[in-house]
Formats: sequence, structure tokens, C-alpha cells
Amino acid sequence: MSTASSVPARTARRRLDEMSQHPWLFVLPAFSVYVIFLVSPALQSVGISFTDWNGVSPDAVFVGLDNYAHIFQDPVAMLALRNNGIWSVVTISVPIALGLSLAVLLNGSSRLMPLLRTIFYMPAVLPLVAVGAIWGWLYDPSRGSVNEILRSLGLGALAQPWLGQDSTALAAVIVAAVWVHTGFPMLIYLAALQGIPLELYESARVDGANRWQQFWHITMPGLRSAHAIVLALSIIDSFKVFDLIFAMTNGGPGNTTQVLGTWMFVNVFQYFNVGYGTAVAVIITIAALAFGIPYVLAQLRSEKR
Amino acid sequence: MSTVTEQITVSNPRDRRPQRRRSRHGAVSRALISLLLIVAALVWFLPFILLITTGIRTTQDFQTGGPVSIPAEFTFQHFIDAWTTGDFATTYTNTILLALVKVPLGVLVSALMAYALARLKVRFRAAVLFLVLLGLTIPIYIALVPLFNTVKAMGLIDNIFGLLGPYLAFGIPFEVLVLYTFFRQLPDEIFEAARMDGAGSWRVFFQIVLPLSLPALATVFILDAVGTWNELLMALTIISSDENKTLPLGMLNFSGQFTTNYNGLAAAILIGILPILIAYALLQRYIVSGLTAGAVKG
Repeated sequence: MSTASSVPARTARRRLDEMSQHPWLFVLPAFSVYVIFLVSPALQSVGISFTDWNGVSPDAVFVGLDNYAHIFQDPVAMLALRNNGIWSVVTISVPIALGLSLAVLLNGSSRLMPLLRTIFYMPAVLPLVAVGAIWGWLYDPSRGSVNEILRSLGLGALAQPWLGQDSTALAAVIVAAVWVHTGFPMLIYLAALQGIPLELYESARVDGANRWQQFWHITMPGLRSAHAIVLALSIIDSFKVFDLIFAMTNGGPGNTTQVLGTWMFVNVFQYFNVGYGTAVAVIITIAALAFGIPYVLAQLRSEKR
Repeated sequence: MSTVTEQITVSNPRDRRPQRRRSRHGAVSRALISLLLIVAALVWFLPFILLITTGIRTTQDFQTGGPVSIPAEFTFQHFIDAWTTGDFATTYTNTILLALVKVPLGVLVSALMAYALARLKVRFRAAVLFLVLLGLTIPIYIALVPLFNTVKAMGLIDNIFGLLGPYLAFGIPFEVLVLYTFFRQLPDEIFEAARMDGAGSWRVFFQIVLPLSLPALATVFILDAVGTWNELLMALTIISSDENKTLPLGMLNFSGQFTTNYNGLAAAILIGILPILIAYALLQRYIVSGLTAGAVKG
């Protein structure tokens, strides 16, 4: 009798034991948070973007693709799109060129390298709001250091309200962005340069290749995977532009420095055009995913090897 | 530019062979490059220098000398005033409290997931991994409006813990990527030996995987803390009242709060960035290794 009763108990315990070892138990906490707070809201946004919801009223009317069509008739959205383009091109190409040059030059000077590397990457750890505050402070028209330095160089005629006028505001914010973004490619290139075998340079020199040829035929090909990673991450990051613009110009003066991110925020939280603002967000996300999906697939492939 | 590759070949720190080609020409170009780099670093660091020189001098001294000059009269008063005006007691408390809850929790759930995806037989493993890594590329805007509604339904609007769920979700992709890559590289023998000893998955995770992964965990922990510390957009959406503001939200109003006080603004900015700069200086080894983890291989 006693064995008969303990057998089911034992199997029950074993089953419980097996269940507690189920691999999905490990996945579940992070996965449920991820689905509830990222996947599901992102999908809901797609739904909202097809409505005229104002964010307050309980009901919203389905308007199909009207919000998307409206983007192309909205001059500010078109300006924002253009600004996003300028932003992406400049804040990707300039930091990559600077970061690559710094990495190649720093890689040679072993004594200076740690300190200088620290300095060039330093702006990247700051909150972008703080970067905005710093540069807003430097650009101050009357007491700011930028104009003061120009005056002391005898270029006082160039002193101007950098963030306060249409002609210079976007460029002034982009300068701050370059200050922030140069450190990252530099770090990646410095790490990747360590992986290029020195023998390649040795034999190239024996073959009579000059330094310029060595750079183009050994260094650059050796950095190919680093280029891919830097470019992919920079592109993805550039689509997320919001904080610096919001903190430094808030899209102004007028709307001259609006980007899609800030224009979405204005529409949703100031104009209560929630449906329209969300459609703008969907457009940015689709653009980001177009570059993001190949990047993620490449990460997964490289991991399998 | 022609000196560029010579730098690599001649004075790479790993190159211990005698440097045959050291010529006078090489020495001169090396010195020029060092000079160029030092000047560039000074320009890069100049904003910090100007913040310090402006923050520590009296307003009077600033007005006579101008913003770009060596201070003559020193004072600590700007920092004392800025601490109160900038409401740093509140914003620091909120940000630290949120980071203390969010970061360990985020690292733990991400490590659990990364472990299962890297080492256990999970159904739909590839699909889950792809979906989670896709989060690396998704801008937070796309989730903003529904997230606001979700947090509102939870009764956590204008509460720093309303940020917990969204911050966890947007931190998970990067944490899982770094930890997953690390866990995959742990030697298989350890796991086989543990299984032979009859250790279950949980014991393996806590007693073998976590202790072996301290460098990767430290990296993820630090980078996640930096991200949490700096986040603006979500906080802007969820938090409205002054007593619940995080540090970036607090710094957003500085130019308004210090309109007439240029020295005070410099002091306030310094108070706002000093902790993260000190943390960076101390922990940069982990930050660099975490950021470059994916770049060096293949």
C-alpha cells in the first residue's frame, strides 16, 4: 500500500522538477517584459497611425493611409526629412573619417594612446541633454566662448547667435553631435587595428609599397568588418536623433531644425495629432529597420561561425 | 598622411623586434603626429576646461576677464547656489533610485534569457533571438504613445517607477546580445561535467555561468547604468512634476533657470556631469571592451 501511494507522489515531484528546469522559464521574464513594453506598443502604434486619434477622446476614426499621405503635404515634415538626411550624412561621415584618422594615428603612439583615447571618447558617456547644455552655453551670443574665441582671433565679424538664426542653427547642433560621436568609431577602429597582422606590412614594404599604398591595400581591407559595424550602428543611431535637437533648439528657430523625431513629439504632445505623429514615428522606424534587419542577420550569422 | 602606416608598422606596441627603419625622418614625423594629436585632444577637452574655469571664478572676475581667460578670483559659491537652483538633491535621488532597481533587474533577466538561448534547447530559439536583437534598431518613438497608455493603466504616470518597464524592455536587446555572445564562448566541457554531476539548469546558471561571466556582467551592468542615467525621451513622456524629475529632465531647464547667471550655469552643468565622468574614468576598461566586443572578431 505504501509503495502504491508514493509512486504517483514521486512522479508528480519529478514532473514538477522537470517543469522547473524548462528552458522557457529562463526566457520568460525578459521576453514578457520585452513583449509588453516594446513589441506590443510598437505594433499598437501602427494601428494608431491609421486613425485620427487625438489622444484624449475615447474613440478614433479609421482614416486609412491619410496620415501617411499628409506627411508628404506637410512642409515641416518635408523640412524635417531633409534635416534628418543632412544629420545622418554629416554625423556619420565626419565622425567616421575623424575616428579612423585618430585611431590610425593613436595606434602608433603607445604612450599617449590611453589618455587621448579617454579624452576623445569622453563626450559620448554624457547625457545628450548635458551635451546640449554645454554647447548652448558655449554658443551664448554675448558671453559664450565660441564668439569670444572668434573675437580674440580678430574674426569678431563672424561672431553671431549660432543657435538663434535659421542659417546656422542646424550646423551648430551638428558640431555638438560630431563632438559626441567621434569617440565610438575611434574605439572600434583601434580595436580592429590590433587584428591586422604586422607581417602584411613587412612583406608589402619588401615589395616596395609606399605608406599610402599600404594604408589603402592593407589597413583599409583589414578594417572591413569594423567599417561594416561602425556604419550599421551609426546609421541606426542617426535615425534616433532627438535629445540634442530637443535640448539645444527644440526644433527652432521657427521650425528650421525640426527632425522627424522632434516633429513627431510636437504633433503628439503639443498639437494632439496623435494619429499623424505616430505615422511619422512609423516612417522613422521602417527606415531604421531597413538598415537594422541586415545588421541583426549579420550578427547572427557571424555568431554561428 | 603618408606617415600613417609607418606609425602602425614601426611603433606598434606589440612589435618587439628591433626597429630597423628608425630614421631621423621617422622621428620628426612621429613628433609631428604626437603634437597634432595633443592639439586635437586639447580642442576636444576645451569645453570641459572652460566649464571649470568659468564655474570656479567670481562673477566680477568673469566680467573683467571674459569667458576665455585664466581666472584670478576663485569662489565655490556658484556650486552651492547651483545645487539648490538646479534641484540636484531631487534629480540625483530619483535617478539613483531608479538605476539601483532597474540595472540589476535588467541584467538578471537578460542573463537568464541569454543563458537559455546560448546553452539550453529552447523552442523557437532562432526566432526569439532575432526578435529580441531587432530591438537594438527600434527607435523609442514608435512605442511612445501606447507605452504612455500602458503606464497610465498601471497607475504609474508621473512616478519614476513608471519608467521601469519601458527602460527594462529597451535595455534587454543590448544586454542579451553581449551576454549571449559571451555565454556561447564558454567551454562546452564545463557544461558537460556539470550535467554528469547531475546539476540542473538553475544550479549551472547561478554556480557556474554567472561566476565565470563576471567581466561580461560588469560591462553590461555599467553600460546599462550609463543608458539609464542618460535617458530623456521616455522620462519626458512619463514624468511631469518637479519632484519626480530625473537628472536629464532637470538639466533640460538649465538655460531657463540660469539665464542671467553664466557662471552658475557652468557650475550646474559640472554638477550634472561630474559623477558620470568620474565613473567613466574609473570603469572605462569595461565600457571599451563592451563596445568593441563585436568589432574585433571575424
